[in-house]
Amino acid sequence: MAEIGDLVKINDYEGILMPSDGKITIIKLSSGYNMAFKNAKINLIKKKEEVKKEKHGTIKKNPKLKNISILHCGGTVASKVDYKTGGVTAQFAPDELLQLFPEIKDIANIESKLIAQMMSENMRFTHYNLIAKAIEEEIKKGVDGIIVTHGTDTLHYTSAALAFMLENLPIPVLLVGSQRSSDRGSSDAAMNLISAISFITNSDFGDVAICMHAGTNDDDCLVLSATKTRKMHTSRRDAFRPINIKPYARINYTTKEITYLNNNFKKRSNTKLKVMPFKEDLKIGLFKSHTNLYAEELDVYKNFDGLVVEGTGLGQLPNSVVDNSTEESGKIIEKIEELTKKIPVVMTSQCVYGRIDMNVYSEGRINMGAGIIGNNLDMTPETAFIKLAWLLSNKLDVKEYFPKNLRGEISERIENIFLI
Amino acid sequence: MDYKKLGFKCGIEIHQQIEGKKLFCNCPTEIRKDEPDYSFRRELRASAGESGKVDKAAAFEQQKKKYFIYRGYDETTCLVEQDEAPPRPVNKDALQATLQLCSMLNCKIADKVIFMRKVVVDGSNVCGFQRTSLVGSDGYVEINGRKIGVESVCLEEEACQVIERNEDRDIYNLSRLGIPLIEIATAPDIQSPEECQETAAKLGMLLRSTGKMKRGIGSIRQDVNVSIKEGYRVEIKGFQDLRSIPKIVEYEINRQLKEKKKQGPHVRKAEPDMTTSFLRPMPGASRMYPETDISLVDIDLSNIEKIETIEEKQKRYEKDYKLNKDFAFLAVKSGIDFPVLFTKYKNLEPKFIVNTVINLPKKIKKIHNVEVDILKNEFVLEALNENKINVSSVEDILVKLGKGEKVMLDDYSTLPIEEVEKEIKQIVSENKNLQFGALMGKCMQHFKGKVDGKIVNEILKKLT
Repeated sequence: MAEIGDLVKINDYEGILMPSDGKITIIKLSSGYNMAFKNAKINLIKKKEEVKKEKHGTIKKNPKLKNISILHCGGTVASKVDYKTGGVTAQFAPDELLQLFPEIKDIANIESKLIAQMMSENMRFTHYNLIAKAIEEEIKKGVDGIIVTHGTDTLHYTSAALAFMLENLPIPVLLVGSQRSSDRGSSDAAMNLISAISFITNSDFGDVAICMHAGTNDDDCLVLSATKTRKMHTSRRDAFRPINIKPYARINYTTKEITYLNNNFKKRSNTKLKVMPFKEDLKIGLFKSHTNLYAEELDVYKNFDGLVVEGTGLGQLPNSVVDNSTEESGKIIEKIEELTKKIPVVMTSQCVYGRIDMNVYSEGRINMGAGIIGNNLDMTPETAFIKLAWLLSNKLDVKEYFPKNLRGEISERIENIFLI
Repeated sequence: MDYKKLGFKCGIEIHQQIEGKKLFCNCPTEIRKDEPDYSFRRELRASAGESGKVDKAAAFEQQKKKYFIYRGYDETTCLVEQDEAPPRPVNKDALQATLQLCSMLNCKIADKVIFMRKVVVDGSNVCGFQRTSLVGSDGYVEINGRKIGVESVCLEEEACQVIERNEDRDIYNLSRLGIPLIEIATAPDIQSPEECQETAAKLGMLLRSTGKMKRGIGSIRQDVNVSIKEGYRVEIKGFQDLRSIPKIVEYEINRQLKEKKKQGPHVRKAEPDMTTSFLRPMPGASRMYPETDISLVDIDLSNIEKIETIEEKQKRYEKDYKLNKDFAFLAVKSGIDFPVLFTKYKNLEPKFIVNTVINLPKKIKKIHNVEVDILKNEFVLEALNENKINVSSVEDILVKLGKGEKVMLDDYSTLPIEEVEKEIKQIVSENKNLQFGALMGKCMQHFKGKVDGKIVNEILKKLT
């Protein structure tokens, strides 16, 4: 019986048996091409040779350089292609990382740890707690900075979560992802990672932040707010954009020069780190308003612990009966009132940019009258979601703390910055 | 040279661009040279394979430590070419054209098409690899009654065009990237440099026969793989002209024979003076891995029928329409459906039709510098067919049409033969002192092209 990796013959073609699903059998020919067969009769030619597993260990440290811990939480910031099988494997060991990114050894000493290997959409509060715990341990070891590698889809949720969880950070924690996987020559992973490492070693920054491409060019990376950044493109390298705020800094990848654009960040703290974790079984909803809305869509949330509404515009919901066909609006506001009696309901905007202002229209005032909070804030829906969950987890009064700027998530004033 | 004795082995690779849209996005396949709308900068790193091995060719490029500037166009290059978005599903028309060719080359066709990433780090592919798939294999093409094996027919992406190479950076034009490309690789069955040229010509003819290929300079490229017993395998790229193949191959064999320290397999570039120069190491087979952004593609062979090749069509024209080889070639090459014209204008000779449709406008362009398409003015052919106008007035009519002048066919209408005779008699009686030649001239001038010279000649001969 042939196994994956064995040399086999199907019809007149010889090749290495590849992983495949269903009725299709795939072999890799000596030319490098893969070939697919339906209902193939597989003849074993030669069993595969057992590959000795490489042993990975730590690497010798340079006492002159700072120590950085890399915590892997998914995504493919570092991966290797096995041309024999065509498989792509993620790399975590420090020596493997140095093999892929040899220039790091001149910038910092690195240690690494695998926390989770997952697509970031599968992240749960449990994982946030795991990451925070790992960060706490690394800080106890005395490292000078931490890099969290992460899938990009929910990277900005995790950055916000860590920003709320970690109080009095003595060192910077930078989240790094890649929009082009690292198995390709054009991957943005190396530049994002190396820029983050060089920023940590050359800055007094003591906050949680995101480090990703500034533009489509392989020239600069941006250090972005953990709570005011959003993935704004499905695929571009520069998908992560600051919302209602300037980036903290720009790092030139070639010269490693740092240009500060916004000094409104926390410096390294001398007081004791405090980790305030998430309550893992909390149920927080994120509800998007839309036209032709039915009140029953809100029924889902009746057993939830909190709800973030992504309203339209300045913070609107269909809540006013204006003619015969808008009776549903009356039912919607009744549903909202029922919810606010039991759980906190906060307003954000699907516009993403700008501030909530429920005073401008009567419909907005109806929302506030129904008990929705969050007026005059400019939090992204994702950050509001994380903040609400974190406040509830730590039994902090939502009415009091939700409107308070705790981790740079609320702008006192919004400058003339839009779509940057 | 005794190629058999030398152990001469030769195979060729043909790359041909397919007309239509790009292979993995909906951009047009327009190669542009005008001012770009945008440019961006990228770097590439060779990713190590198992046990840290980096492909030889890839490592060669990386040691150069370069960065790349890409220039693109808003209307014709999109996020896919920029490597800022994943590939869209494969262009089905390009795949069908490839399958058509596979069937013409008697290839076995895979049950599903799998796209691979072939690592290329010289910057010519923005993402650092070329997407390529093996569609057909194990076929053959017949050259002089001998079968030359076709090892593979691949469908792949065209690369960027280099604009400028510098020590620290190369500049590329993005517009060519992603054009569907058919790659045909023959087995090393070719036995002489001449046979190599013939094989290239035959494959080119088969490609054109599909009617789906791009035309013009750069749309087809040939690489030649040669080796001799005493030497090693060399791939020669960049032939400008098929006719240069035998000479360049011969020179390369001589070079290898004279070489004192054997270099080993590598890629060479064909120079205009028929010599070749070192280009880069031969890439290993170990540089491919699956393109996971594209799922396996189902193959639809239901529309693949045997098509008539250009060669076969030419033979048919010669036989069915009594065209000579040159005219049959012209007719087929033009892509015009001549049999329709031949049936429609059956009073006219096929040869005359081909000449009038293809050659006459060329002559008019040369002499009068006006462009005219007779197929857009088919009433001229109709009038000729119905004998309403005379052959000798066609050129005059077409020149007028080309200049945009109004043409009244009545001005050219053919006179009844009795009328012609009557008028010639009149001219002869008025010019009794003139010689035959002068009389002929007088008559032609008189009829202003309304009467065929042949007829005038015959009548005059009878009268004088």
